[in-house]
Amino acid sequence: MITASGITKTYKQRGNMLGARAVPALRGVDFAIEKGGAVTFIGESGCGKTTLGRIVAGLESYDGGDIVIDGTPMSSLKPRHREPFFRRIQLIHQDPYSALNPTRTIHQTLAAPLALRAKQTGRGKAWMEERARELLALVGIDPGYVLPRYPHQLSGGMRQRVVIARALTVDPEVLVADESVSMIDVSLRLGVLALLKDLRERLNVSVLFITHDIATARYIGGDGELYVIYRGQVVESGPTEQVISGPVHPYTQSLLSAIPVLHGVERPGPERVVPTEALNEAHPDTGCLFARRCPFRTDRCEAALPALVSDGAQAHACYHPQRRNVIPVEAA
Amino acid sequence: MTVTSPVAPAPISLRRNFWRGVGRVLRRKPSRMVGVAIVVLFVFMGIFGPLLYPNPLPRDDNALYASPSWAHPFGTDFEGTDVLALVVTGTRYVLLAGLATAVITVAVGTLIGLLAGFHRGRWDSVLMRLTDLQLTIPGLPLLLVLSTVWKFTSPIEMGVVLGLLGWGGIARAVRSQSLSLRERGFIEAAKGLGLPTRHIVLRELLPPMAPYIAMNMLIAVTGAIYAQVGLFFLGVLPFDANNWGVMLNLSVFGGGALSSTAALPYLLAPLLAILLLTLGIVLVVDAMDEIFNPRLREE
Amino acid sequence: MTRTSAPGVRVKDLTVVYKTPAGELPALGGVSLSLAPGTITGIVGESGSGKSTLALSLLNAVQPPGRIKEGTVEIDGLGNVVELTGEELRRVRGRQVGYVFQAAQNSLNPLKTVGKQLLDLGRSHDFDDLPALLKDARALLGRMGLDGGRVLDSYQHELSGGMRQRVGIMFALVLNAHLVVLDEPTTALDMITQAAILKIVRDVHHERGLTTLIITHDMGVAAEVTDSLAVMYGGRVVEHGPTTEVLGAPRHPYTKGLIRAIPRLSGDIDEARALPGRPPTLGTIPKQGCVFRERCPLRIAVCDTVDPEPVTRDARTVACHAVGRLATPVVPKEYV
Repeated sequence: MITASGITKTYKQRGNMLGARAVPALRGVDFAIEKGGAVTFIGESGCGKTTLGRIVAGLESYDGGDIVIDGTPMSSLKPRHREPFFRRIQLIHQDPYSALNPTRTIHQTLAAPLALRAKQTGRGKAWMEERARELLALVGIDPGYVLPRYPHQLSGGMRQRVVIARALTVDPEVLVADESVSMIDVSLRLGVLALLKDLRERLNVSVLFITHDIATARYIGGDGELYVIYRGQVVESGPTEQVISGPVHPYTQSLLSAIPVLHGVERPGPERVVPTEALNEAHPDTGCLFARRCPFRTDRCEAALPALVSDGAQAHACYHPQRRNVIPVEAA
Repeated sequence: MTVTSPVAPAPISLRRNFWRGVGRVLRRKPSRMVGVAIVVLFVFMGIFGPLLYPNPLPRDDNALYASPSWAHPFGTDFEGTDVLALVVTGTRYVLLAGLATAVITVAVGTLIGLLAGFHRGRWDSVLMRLTDLQLTIPGLPLLLVLSTVWKFTSPIEMGVVLGLLGWGGIARAVRSQSLSLRERGFIEAAKGLGLPTRHIVLRELLPPMAPYIAMNMLIAVTGAIYAQVGLFFLGVLPFDANNWGVMLNLSVFGGGALSSTAALPYLLAPLLAILLLTLGIVLVVDAMDEIFNPRLREE
Repeated sequence: MTRTSAPGVRVKDLTVVYKTPAGELPALGGVSLSLAPGTITGIVGESGSGKSTLALSLLNAVQPPGRIKEGTVEIDGLGNVVELTGEELRRVRGRQVGYVFQAAQNSLNPLKTVGKQLLDLGRSHDFDDLPALLKDARALLGRMGLDGGRVLDSYQHELSGGMRQRVGIMFALVLNAHLVVLDEPTTALDMITQAAILKIVRDVHHERGLTTLIITHDMGVAAEVTDSLAVMYGGRVVEHGPTTEVLGAPRHPYTKGLIRAIPRLSGDIDEARALPGRPPTLGTIPKQGCVFRERCPLRIAVCDTVDPEPVTRDARTVACHAVGRLATPVVPKEYV
């Protein structure tokens, strides 16, 4: 239902007198989300995954490529005509503390977009009130408790639920969840993740999940597609469970190897891939973007950028793809 | 109509909660209550002061520069008029001019700051150059020049001129606040939900800035009080017996308050009034942050 | 006076209260915890569990409006740090107890190079041999995979998050402290950087012979590096024991629930279950009874009135009425 092809985005960093330095954030990203589907992007901070989410939600422009929403290419529309399309894609911010206006009650926060909706559909105030309660109940919080309160009176988990309810006021088809639980208490995280999962099933909304925590991706979008993004390029993609259990790109393997092992519950995987260096944006981008950090690099890797090639359901951008068992195994 | 929405009363109770919260914030520190009491006293004097005394104020040729007494707590002036009466009846001009200044600085400063900060780009450059221009205008010399052609008999005129000379600071403050707030999640969310710009600016962006604006406004008022009193003190403006600034001028240059004690109460009374009013405002400013921040207000 | 071996730490009945408009509220309600010399202990808890307050108490550095109301913190070679004051206390901090603050990435002075800040630290602790201090720092940074000379000449903004974290660890260790407290050492770091930092923490711990305490909200971080694990909730240590045992066979219902709420890469993901309810804040910690009862599946009548005492059995401590009543130990792996 949403197809993105070859999205590129370059930030101009203010440079010295000799000119600005161009920092590529996205180097041609393709993906598609089905109705009710789940797509996950994982990568380190600065890999471009947040930029991608903001572009898809219409909050940021892109330099190249195109986004097609329900068959309409956004490039064919003037910016102001794109808005109704992008409104169907709502971003759930990472930080539930800054995503709600501290000076407005939850009632006021929900009333504004609902009033807009009521005007569009010719419904009245009573509908707005009813809908506000309905949405809060849908995200699993007590409307009577939450509505008259200010954001600071709610816990992180509740706030994030309010943020989700607010996004639902405009009946979106896609929710873009950017690290949506990283700032919530551990015992409450799974509740919010379960809610997103539940919304997929009940409302048939799609979820574009952006995270650095692959295990949460597995929880929400285990049946969906996983894209591993590195320095603005998708280096591996495929069905989530398949990529997690059988990664072939050394970067994916490094990410999976880095996930802490719950000793006592699980044992470390038989293999482990550790990058030879830390991430450095200044690394040359002539060859494979990961080459400098890759323990398996060859001369070929530094010569030319490998393209994303499909290998059945899974795709990878690596000259030396090799399946490795890096994820922990359950302790017997 | 039998169906009543269960949530409908929320906005009303909210407003009531706001004032109850304001009361709570003010009671939190005794100094704030003192500030409020002072400001209320001056407002009372401004509104009812002129009604308490006959107009024109009676003179007593037998008691020029009289010492303080029960009849004249701050003595009398060079014409034998009660100094306290002069101060009280002079409050209205000072307050009205201050209020007009505040309205103008806040309205112009906030509007320009918001437009510049929210739209950025070309709007920002043009409006900020305008603000820079305003900030570089030397206020006092300009007022001195203006006063040769304009007599400022109405406090509103005085306030408007002072306001137009003083909005630059607020504009800059509001702009920088908008720039930081517009990056916040809730502004982005409002945009993403397709809410109109008017709503975003007035309902989402403005309320979090309210404490800054309120504080700047009150500080602008004190600035305006000093400025106008200063102008009258310099004697560049027409004579008006009950103006605080004129009183200062006459006590110093006419009564010799700096060298003899006879006119000292005449000098001290308006000075005291100015200090007290400024103190009252400063004490109230302290509460602004808590009044407009629901978190600090409620807890 | 500087110790050359890892000290043990014994916290006993520690109560820390914070003054609020609603009176003095306990952030720590009588915590007892021992850190065995030479081990890495992890304290896991959510916001408001009191874990950071406990860490600060080890330095007697609880800031007003908080204060240590009662209890003792005995550190080998230092005695009861709760009784130390002023100059004594300042010397202990840094020299004997190294502390890597939460968000250490942002706790460097942006206007001074790392080297300058190091010299300041040395002078404030009356180090005579400053060149030796710099040499030690370079060696430590080198050990953590950084170019020591370059880092010491750098300003904060020239270093990445992972590098700053390593600089923070260097500051904690360079004065030769043998007790090191790391508060959320990997928050806001990427997975790969986190793994690298945790490896460094573990390696340096063994090489220098330290007693290490790691405060974290992330069960995975604790699982990865610690020998022993304490789980905190509502200002209490509800469970404490060897890490693999606590994780593999949790006894306290909170520990069980927390482990079950973590999505994992192994096993059936659909078995992850959210913990109902929400953690208490300072103001909502129950005055009497068990602090966890509102969210507890094993709640019984006594939980409402009596705060469960920590009971130690075969090196594992649990504070729970329901678990204490069971004659036989809880069946391991019950959470699966």
